[in-house]
Amino acid sequence: MKIEASGSGQNMQPLLKVENLLKRYAKGSLTGAREELLALDGVSFTIFPGTTLAVVGESGSGKSTLASCLACLESPTTGNIWFEGKDIVKLGERARRQVRPQIQLIFQDPASSLNPRWSVLEILVEPLILQRKFKHEEMKQRANFLLVRVGLSPDIVEQLPTELSGGQRQRLAIARALSLEPKLLILDEALSALDCSVQAQIANLLMELQSSLGMTYLFITHDLAMAAYLADEIAVMNRGRIVEQGPAEKILKQPQHETTLRLLAAVPRITRAALPAVEQ
Amino acid sequence: MSTRRTFVKWLVALGVLHGMVVCAGFLAPYNPVEQDRKSPYLPPTRLHLADANGHIHVRPFAYSVRLRVRSFDQYEEDTTEPHPVKFFLNGARYRLLGFLPCRMHFFGAEGTRIYLLGTDAYGRDQFSRFLFGGQVSLLAGLLGAGLTLLLGLCVGAVAGYYGGWRDSVLMRFAELFLALPWLYLLLALRAFLPLAVGPLEAFFLIIAVIGGVGWARPARLVRGVVLSARERDFVRAARGFGASNGYLLRRHILPETSSVLLTQAAILIPQYVLAEMTLSFLGLGVPEPAPSWGNLLSSLQQYSVLVSYWWMYLPALIMVPFFLGYLGLASSLQERAEAYKIETSSLGSLT
Amino acid sequence: MRYLLRRLGHAFSLLVGVSILAFLFTALAPGNYFDEMRLNPQIAPATVAAMRAQYGFDRPLLVRYASWLNSVIHGEMGFSFGYNSPVAPLLLMRARNTLLLTITATLLAWAIALPLGVWSAERLGRLPDRLLSWGTAALLVIPDLALALGLLVLAVRSAWFPTGGMASVDFETLTPLNKLRDLALHMILPVTALLLSVLPLLVRHVRAAVADVRNAPFLLAAVGHGIPRRTLLYRYALPAAANPLISLFGFSIGALLSGSLLIEVVMSWPGLGPLLLEAILARDLYLVIGGVLFSTVFLAGGNLLADLLLYWADPRIRTESSAR
Repeated sequence: MKIEASGSGQNMQPLLKVENLLKRYAKGSLTGAREELLALDGVSFTIFPGTTLAVVGESGSGKSTLASCLACLESPTTGNIWFEGKDIVKLGERARRQVRPQIQLIFQDPASSLNPRWSVLEILVEPLILQRKFKHEEMKQRANFLLVRVGLSPDIVEQLPTELSGGQRQRLAIARALSLEPKLLILDEALSALDCSVQAQIANLLMELQSSLGMTYLFITHDLAMAAYLADEIAVMNRGRIVEQGPAEKILKQPQHETTLRLLAAVPRITRAALPAVEQ
Repeated sequence: MSTRRTFVKWLVALGVLHGMVVCAGFLAPYNPVEQDRKSPYLPPTRLHLADANGHIHVRPFAYSVRLRVRSFDQYEEDTTEPHPVKFFLNGARYRLLGFLPCRMHFFGAEGTRIYLLGTDAYGRDQFSRFLFGGQVSLLAGLLGAGLTLLLGLCVGAVAGYYGGWRDSVLMRFAELFLALPWLYLLLALRAFLPLAVGPLEAFFLIIAVIGGVGWARPARLVRGVVLSARERDFVRAARGFGASNGYLLRRHILPETSSVLLTQAAILIPQYVLAEMTLSFLGLGVPEPAPSWGNLLSSLQQYSVLVSYWWMYLPALIMVPFFLGYLGLASSLQERAEAYKIETSSLGSLT
Repeated sequence: MRYLLRRLGHAFSLLVGVSILAFLFTALAPGNYFDEMRLNPQIAPATVAAMRAQYGFDRPLLVRYASWLNSVIHGEMGFSFGYNSPVAPLLLMRARNTLLLTITATLLAWAIALPLGVWSAERLGRLPDRLLSWGTAALLVIPDLALALGLLVLAVRSAWFPTGGMASVDFETLTPLNKLRDLALHMILPVTALLLSVLPLLVRHVRAAVADVRNAPFLLAAVGHGIPRRTLLYRYALPAAANPLISLFGFSIGALLSGSLLIEVVMSWPGLGPLLLEAILARDLYLVIGGVLFSTVFLAGGNLLADLLLYWADPRIRTESSAR
């Protein structure tokens, strides 16, 4: 079914098209010699609406920089990012602020992506207030709706994020991101900080949301098994480059690049054995 | 949470002390600038319970004093008539809290004057001067610290949040202010401002000078907090919701600086009270006859006062509880910050 | 070596910055020496104007700064109106006295604070440690001014040692050895006051720093190796705690200089403090700037010394600077 979805996507306009993205960090002081760090070195890919692309790579391969650039939180040094046919790299700060709500980012550590001083309700309605989407009285209803949508009880609205469990926090972060009805959701290692059973629950939630809302995901991870479970297509990154890209099944079955092999070897054995069953 | 309780304890103690100074008009028996040329350098009035005839009185009383024969600064008690201490009696006019006209004083006596801390060279009541002087010194400390923190917050926030050339310029500037020992800096700033001004002008001048001296250190601290808060995920998330810089600073980043600012306030206020005292002591502060804690001590610069009139030193001892309160407050805040740090870091590792 | 040169350059640029700032402030400041003079009816306005021109006060700020720099190079640092003499020689004499006070106090303070802090950290939470904590807290809450005045009262009443000044009246007639003794006697009071004002802070910081590293894994391992306690504390714990302590050293110099200013005035020690105060009251601007700059030099010197110590104590800085 998923493959069909991506197949039909081929005829549509891509939601996101990245061309030759390059990001260079200059580290240097006034006196010391300049050091340069190339975080992204010519990254290109496209994502069609309703599909999931997984970007897999080891730590330090430039995945998170990619996420920041796509979410308009950082500017790439060179390259283009076409979002719905519009190049968002060249936009000014004001116009970027219009684009940002449409591309939402879910972070690795839900504890740090939620302001520890704020209550669940305050956290949840912050995007709505910022975008002035709803009237005051509607907001609480909307918040309750979102909480239920991600499988949380509306009773927790008065609690602080520190009082929630890791899985609850990540659900809250997803609910918050969904409140703006984004077109693209970037999940930056969003499952990595959770333990196994919670990971599976959140992964299922994400897939359920995708089928009901038609969400598009960019799933960034170091976990090839989880990537294969969630994604239609996988891109493997190493040192700021995409070294291998293709349908999830193909990457798993016929890995070409040594990075992919290495990542595959890192997948726990039981999960790897279970993989084909999941995919079929 | 025991740190929270100690914090509240110190806060209440400081509240009581400051309340006493705020209600100086009521607690002080006399007008702080009213002179009594007939009784200069009167030692603290003795309160008795037993009179010359051996009778015990329930209500403490005082005798009036007169100069000893053939002496110019030795006083003796006139034991013929005891003057009982009265409470809630009418006396000199004052304005309670600065606006309520009032005549009632907490204590006093009829027929004689009670000088709890003795009198100064002009026969002014040192106790009244201490309370009213506290208003000047503590307010100068509070406002000066407020000014410093405001400056530090602005500079630190701009430097930390916007970074780049603003950061380097502001931090270089801050270094210049840290390159001087603070008292030299204080005096240097004071040196460039007019000397002979009215009491009110002098008061605000001093606040400006004191407040302008110390901004560099809080600015650095705030900058550090802002720098790390800016990269926190929830700030990046809010930016992702389309938040403006102003919103991020106001709602997410500046609240992070609150504990640093609070701790700094508890450290700076007593320091600035001391700074005002130092300036006034050196004759660069609030001019006489207005009382201030520095003015109260400045007469001790005269050798004769130091040798003969020991009670002129008493104000220095009575101000110690104020500083103790602030020290307690600051250390309880520091402890709380430490506990908070441990708590959050352990939470981070759990998830 | 490059590290130290860099620190030296930094200190120098701070000095230049402070002098520029000082001149900017003098330009903004309302009123100067000549305005005070103008108020004096005995001096003709023409005389004041002539003097203004003579000292170059009618010229623009930049020119004044340039000519002041020139006089710095010639070892004058401008001209004091009040003393009618170049500033530098006036200041040098006083600076020597201030240094005598602060250096003695610094050495003594650290000589006492280090062992006391380590001793206290060794008994963390036990009675002697708690007593010491109370003692330092008590000293901390007494204002420096009150402390100095209190010592003065005590000294005056007991007459154990001289109170004020730097030398007895008959100083010139004394033998060299007695001169030294006389000086030392005069130093007791101001040095004690200075010591008491910074000691509590130092002891607390040393104690905290040593207590911090005492539980570090490498120290626990050293305990396991059976290294004696004394060696452990002084050879292992103290060097590991050196970093915060050395930055504290720079801070302590600043605090001592500030404290010294006040104490010099209170105890009439002929240092920079009384001179600066006098200059401020007389609006003797170049003297003020000179005094302020001298204090900057001292503090910068103290910080350089701290850098030097850090370079010596922290191998990381050495490797960093040799790598560059």
